This record gives sequence, structure tokens and C-alpha cells, in this order.
Amino acid sequence: MASSLWVGRRFEYSVRQIYCLVHAEAPVMSRFRSAPVLVLILALATLPVASPAQPPAPAAALMVQVTSEPPGLDLTATPASATAAVVFYNVQEALVKVDQHGTLVPWLAERWHTADNLNYTFFLKRGVRFHNGRPFTAEDVKYVLDRARNPETKHPHVKHYEDIATIHVKDEHTVTVTLKQPNAMFLYNLARQGSVMYPREAVEQLRSQPVGTGPFTLARWDRGDRIVLKRYPDYHGKGLPRLDQVTFRFIPDPNAALAALQAGDIDVLAFGLGPESIEVVRRAPNLQLILGETTNDVILALNNAKKPYADVRVRRAITYAVNKDEIVKGAMFGFGRILGTNVDPLNPYFVDMAKAMAYSPEKAKQLLAEAGYPHGFDAVLRVPPQYPYTVRTGEVIVGQLAKVGIRAKLEQIEWGQWLDRVYKNADYDLTIIGHAEAWDAGNYANPKYYFRYDSPRFQEVFKESERTLDDAKRRALYGELQKIMVEEAPVVWLYVYPRIVAAKKGVQGIWKDLPTPSLDLSEVAWVK
Amino acid sequence: MRRYLARRVVAFAATLFVVSILVFVVIRVLPGDPALLIMGTEASPEAAAALRRAMGLDRPLPVQYAEWVRGALRGDLGRSIQYDVPVGSLILSRLRVTLPLTLLATLFMTATALPLGIFAATHHRRLGDYLAMVASQLGIAIPSFWAGLLLILFFAVRLGWVEAGGFPGWEAGLGAALRALLLPAVALGLIQAAILTRTTRSAVLEVIHAEHVRTARAKGLGERVVTWKHVLRNALITIVTIAGLQFGQLMAGSIVLENVFYLPGLGRLALSAISARDLPVVQGVVLFVAATIITLNFAVDVIYGFLDPRIRYD
Repeated sequence: MASSLWVGRRFEYSVRQIYCLVHAEAPVMSRFRSAPVLVLILALATLPVASPAQPPAPAAALMVQVTSEPPGLDLTATPASATAAVVFYNVQEALVKVDQHGTLVPWLAERWHTADNLNYTFFLKRGVRFHNGRPFTAEDVKYVLDRARNPETKHPHVKHYEDIATIHVKDEHTVTVTLKQPNAMFLYNLARQGSVMYPREAVEQLRSQPVGTGPFTLARWDRGDRIVLKRYPDYHGKGLPRLDQVTFRFIPDPNAALAALQAGDIDVLAFGLGPESIEVVRRAPNLQLILGETTNDVILALNNAKKPYADVRVRRAITYAVNKDEIVKGAMFGFGRILGTNVDPLNPYFVDMAKAMAYSPEKAKQLLAEAGYPHGFDAVLRVPPQYPYTVRTGEVIVGQLAKVGIRAKLEQIEWGQWLDRVYKNADYDLTIIGHAEAWDAGNYANPKYYFRYDSPRFQEVFKESERTLDDAKRRALYGELQKIMVEEAPVVWLYVYPRIVAAKKGVQGIWKDLPTPSLDLSEVAWVK
Repeated sequence: MRRYLARRVVAFAATLFVVSILVFVVIRVLPGDPALLIMGTEASPEAAAALRRAMGLDRPLPVQYAEWVRGALRGDLGRSIQYDVPVGSLILSRLRVTLPLTLLATLFMTATALPLGIFAATHHRRLGDYLAMVASQLGIAIPSFWAGLLLILFFAVRLGWVEAGGFPGWEAGLGAALRALLLPAVALGLIQAAILTRTTRSAVLEVIHAEHVRTARAKGLGERVVTWKHVLRNALITIVTIAGLQFGQLMAGSIVLENVFYLPGLGRLALSAISARDLPVVQGVVLFVAATIITLNFAVDVIYGFLDPRIRYD
């Protein structure tokens, strides 16, 4: 691991130097002029190179960078956000939609009605057709939901549909779903990526050729390189989409992605631009920067089942020992909103708890002494370098913990290993990771989750919040949940990872915030 | 010669067999569950377990190995978990990028290293020699990913002559495809060219002072004939060995550069398959690359036998 760390550092360092070289003002340039490297470049510059003769792209085409390639395109089989970014809202849609402000809006169901919070009748939008030309009907809704709640189909989230008792088709455009018990998350669950509508006859091909009702159809998937979507002429949204073609290119390296944007090869750098590059984009006259919120909560997770983290005093001590302001400044260049609990600012029930346990090394030391660790203890902090922010955040935290006597060792492990050791087997002391899913407080009510946080009090309040439909009462319960989170400190909530998008000037309609993992391009257009 | 060849063929098959077992075992010992990687952190453990069963990963290892080898012998390397296409066709489509890239880099390597190395040797301890050695020292010192980034930033970002990366496909025309491969090939070949320059120089130097060369000169042969016929033919044994090994190095090095230039080649396929624990793909690619390198070594050995008759008899 040490050598890969070295390469990473070396890489960052080199890149910084190169940026100086390329963007730079005169004094920096003259420093490099003597460098033999430049001689080499100039020598290579004399090599004959054919002049670019690319065929002109269609006017309404967009080239979008995404960090990772989807591990399959079937949203009902993989919950990966890389799949959602391409397919969700662009190719396939659900009955209900989470819009860019995080609000639930009617979509393939143009309205719904419930008198008792058990029987929901959905009235489907007329004139909606699947990409294969067949009209979308109530039978399709029944088929999709029946398949989703059937454990045999390996849907990743059977739980989201387990309260459904029966689904009754009234006519071609009306369907009634009956619940076993009231469920406050029911409509929201119908808006999740796993609830997209597709035709029964296309089930077998969803993994590589998804069919839906969305504004674009899948034209091509060049494995390892790009996915091309084409405009769906019969789309039900009036005047949409505004683009004829969208190409997603998989460019994992943030420096390569930035270079591609600067060279004009891509129009939108959608994911993975680090906060360190924000200034570069701001200074470029032909680029625009979109900064917003996400639901990605970056946390320092503690293994609650393990000594000494099983002791609430130790967990609180660690929370007090962590200076979140310093982390955001040091590791995130000042971008990222400080978090107090796992309920993020895009959640309607968000209560600002950022100041509830403000940084206090004295309190941390005192709590550690009370818990029987006056001289601190040793710990291993495992971080996955696949997400560079985890390493940088970890480096700052190690220094902060040392100040109260906790000797943490930073250990980088590859993503596959992280999933296996940390996430699946809870084989860890401390770890750092972002949790991107919205409405995920339920993880803290699950004692088998890798936090191994087992609080009957929290579980009870959470369960009640799922069954409470009255908005005011539910808000109160969520307030209570956030209070318990602060008191019991199962993990240390650090900051919300900011949404950073860089695009060419003239690209309009990209969502500012990201309340869902979709990269909705239906309303994106070029404006001259 | 026939016995020599037979021995080589047996060694070839045995190596391939050992490699196939190693690949299989090492990948499975590695922690990391393909089902979890597909499902991510949000799915239920039951769903991940069901997916594991569907992928046949719950069966005993020897059974899985036997099935894999049986398929491989019939030319069937299985199906990619991530991409849902046959591994064989996936490898072939990626070779359309990696093979030309490696060949271009080899071309660049030999086209610069041979003349430079011979020039340095024939100008031993003169200015030309020193300049060539400084250049090769630089080439060795610059990591290929850094060279790649420099080239991108200079030729793509600053001058806008080429794209910053990516591959338009051979359908886009020979010119466009070659242009996309040019910078990565140069960055890839740079280090190996520098190494080969030094090898060529010392190989030529060693022969230049040999008895038979002195004899040739004494016979009154022209300097050009001496260099090309008597010096180079003997120096070539060392040069071919090193260059053959370097082809393997270039293939391995393409992993880094395919990522810097995001080219859809074999190296990037291997890397993404490893991080996705796409086992059939990882196994297929490693087996393929191992077979290629073993074949190359085999070819080098055979060429050896022709170049130097002494070798086939040991």
C-alpha cells in the first residue's frame, strides 16, 4: 500500500506542476524553461501530426463525463449509482419523481388518491409509450411491482415493497395498490430507482438494453468506453428532450477528465471533479461551475460492537476530538457543509445539529479518562483510496485524534476489500465513507449494519416514524431521531459532499442539487 | 534443432498450466465479493447471496476450476459478469486498441533506440555519446503516466492538435484512430526506448572491440560494412532478447497509459475487471496476456537458436 500511496502523491504533485506549466503566468514559465523536460516536449512538438479533421457533431449533442462505468444497466438488479446516473430519468422513469428540489411530483401517474392511507389509486398519464412502441398501461404497473416484491427475482430492495398486500388493475389507466399497514415512505419508495417502469417483454434484456418511457433510448454501449443515448421522438413530456443525442464517457481519473474538458472533448464533467480543481474551472473563461448540495453524507464510522467504541463515552469523546471546520478547510478546500447527524439538509425534516457537539479536545480527554482511557488507545483507520476525499479527510483526522491521545494508523484498502472486510464483516475500528442514499436513517435502526449500532430506543422511534403519516407528527419524530443520534454518537458525521459540476458555457438546465443519484438530462440544452 | 524446439514446446505448455492455476487461486483468495461490488452498499445481504449463487460462486473451487479449463480448451472463456458479453469477444475487441498501441510503441522504441544506440557506440566518449546518454537517462527517469500527462497538456489542451484521450474506433478512419494512439504510444515507448538505447550501445561496444571485428577491419573492409555486418549481427542477440522482453513490458505498461488516456484497451479492461471482481474477465485476460508473453519468450528462444547456433546445443 505504501508504494501506491507514493505513486498517488507523486501523481498529484506532478499534476500540480503541469498545471503551473500550462496555465501559468510568466515567472513560473521561466522557471521551467530551463528544465530539460521542456526541451523534450519541444523536440516532440516537431513530430508531424495530422490536423484534426473530426466530422462536425450534431448541434444538439452533449458529451458527458461520468466517473465509473455501470456494472450493468438493470436498475431492478443493481442499485449502483453509476447505473442510475445513466438510466434513471433518462431511459426509464417511475410513477412518481423526485424533482431537483427533492420534492415528490406526479410523473407516470399524473395523480393519485387515498382515503385511508391503505388503498392508493393511481391514475396513469395518457399517451405514454415504451421505447418499443407499446402503450404503457396499468397492467405494466402491476407486473413491475409484483416482480419487485417477489424475493425470487433478486431485486436489491424487496423491503421497499413488502407492505404491499394486493395490486388491482381497475382499467387500462387506473391501478389500486393496497397496503398491509400505513407506510409513510410508500410514495417515496415508488419514486426510487428500483421502481422504474419497463415492459414485461423486455425483462431479459434490461441488463444490457433497458427499455423504458424516458426521454432517451439506449443507442449504443461500447463497453469500457461510452454509452450513447438517442432522443425518443414519442416522449410524453412536451418539447422534451431538448437534446438529440447524449454520450456518457467513462473517465475515472479526475485529472484526465479535467484535461478532456479543457481540450474541448467533453461538454460536462459531471462527477469526480475534486474541490482542488474548482479554482481552475472558475478562472477558465469558456467554462462554468455548478456548485450544489447532495445527499452524500461523509462520516467517520465507528465499530460500535468493538471495544472501546462500544462505550458511548468513547464515541462522544471521538466526536468532540474531531474538528469538522478544519477538515472541510484542510481536506475539502472549504467546500462541503458540516453535518451534525445523518439527516442531510436536502431532507425536509432536517434540523441543524452541526453545533450540537462542537469541537472540544478538553471534553474529549475528560470523557476518555472517565471511560478508563486516560492515555488514549491505538486504532486503525481504514480508508478506500478509490474515493480520494476519504484519504485526505483521514489524514486530517489522524492528526486531530492524536491531540487527545488516540493513536490512529491510516490504512488504505482497495474498494473491493473495503466492501468485504469493513462493510460486510465489520472487520474495522474506524473508517471514512460517504453515504449517498437519501432517506437512509434506517441504517441506524439496523443492528446488523456495519456500524453495529444497536439502540432499542432509536429503533423504536424510527419504526414509529415509518408508520406515521401526519406530517407534523412525523417531523417531531425525525427531530427526536436526530437528537438520539447526537446523544448516542454511533458515528461521527463530518460533512455533506458538495456537488461539483464543470461544464462548457452554453450548457443549460443541469440540476444544481442532487437529491437523487440520477443525472437528469431531459431539460438540458445548448444556449448560444 | 528439433529436440531444442520440442523442449521449448513442453516448457511452454507447462508454464501455461501453472499460470492458469495461479490466476484462478490468487483471484479467489483476494478478499472482495463480486456480488457485493455489483450490489453496492445499499442492497440487502439476501440479494447479494442470491446473485452469488446465480454466478456459480458457491460451488467448490476445484469444480469451478475444472469447468473453466474445460471451457477455455474449447475456446470459451465464459461470460463477463459486468458487461454480459462473452469474455473472448471482449478481449478481441480490446485487442483492437492495445495491439496497435503496443506495436506503435515498439516501432517508436526501435526507431529511436537502434540508431541512437549505434550512434552513441560509434561515437564512444565523444559529445554525441554523452548527449545520447543524457537523453536516455531522462527517458528512464520520467514515469510514463507523467510523460502521458505532459503530452496531453501540451498537445491537446494547449495546442488543441489532438484529443485529450479516448478512442474513436477504427470505423472513424485510419487517420483518426492513429492520431488517438500517437501520444499514448510515445509516452509508453519512451522508457523502453531509453533502456533499449543503453542496451544497444553497450552491446555494440562489446562487439566493436572483439577480435573478429579487428580482423574484418584489417582485411580492409569499409567502416559501414564492418558496423552493419560484423558488429550488428553479433550485437543483435542481446538486443533481440531485451526487445522481446520489452514487448511484454510494453503490454503491461499499457495498463497505466490506457487509464491516463482512457483508451478502451486490454489494460483498462483488466483493471476495471479486477476492481469489479469480474472473475471470468480477470481470468481470461491474465491467461491471454500470460500466453502472449510466454509465446514471445518462446519466439525469442527460437530466433536465438537461429542467430547463434551454439545455443541450440546446450
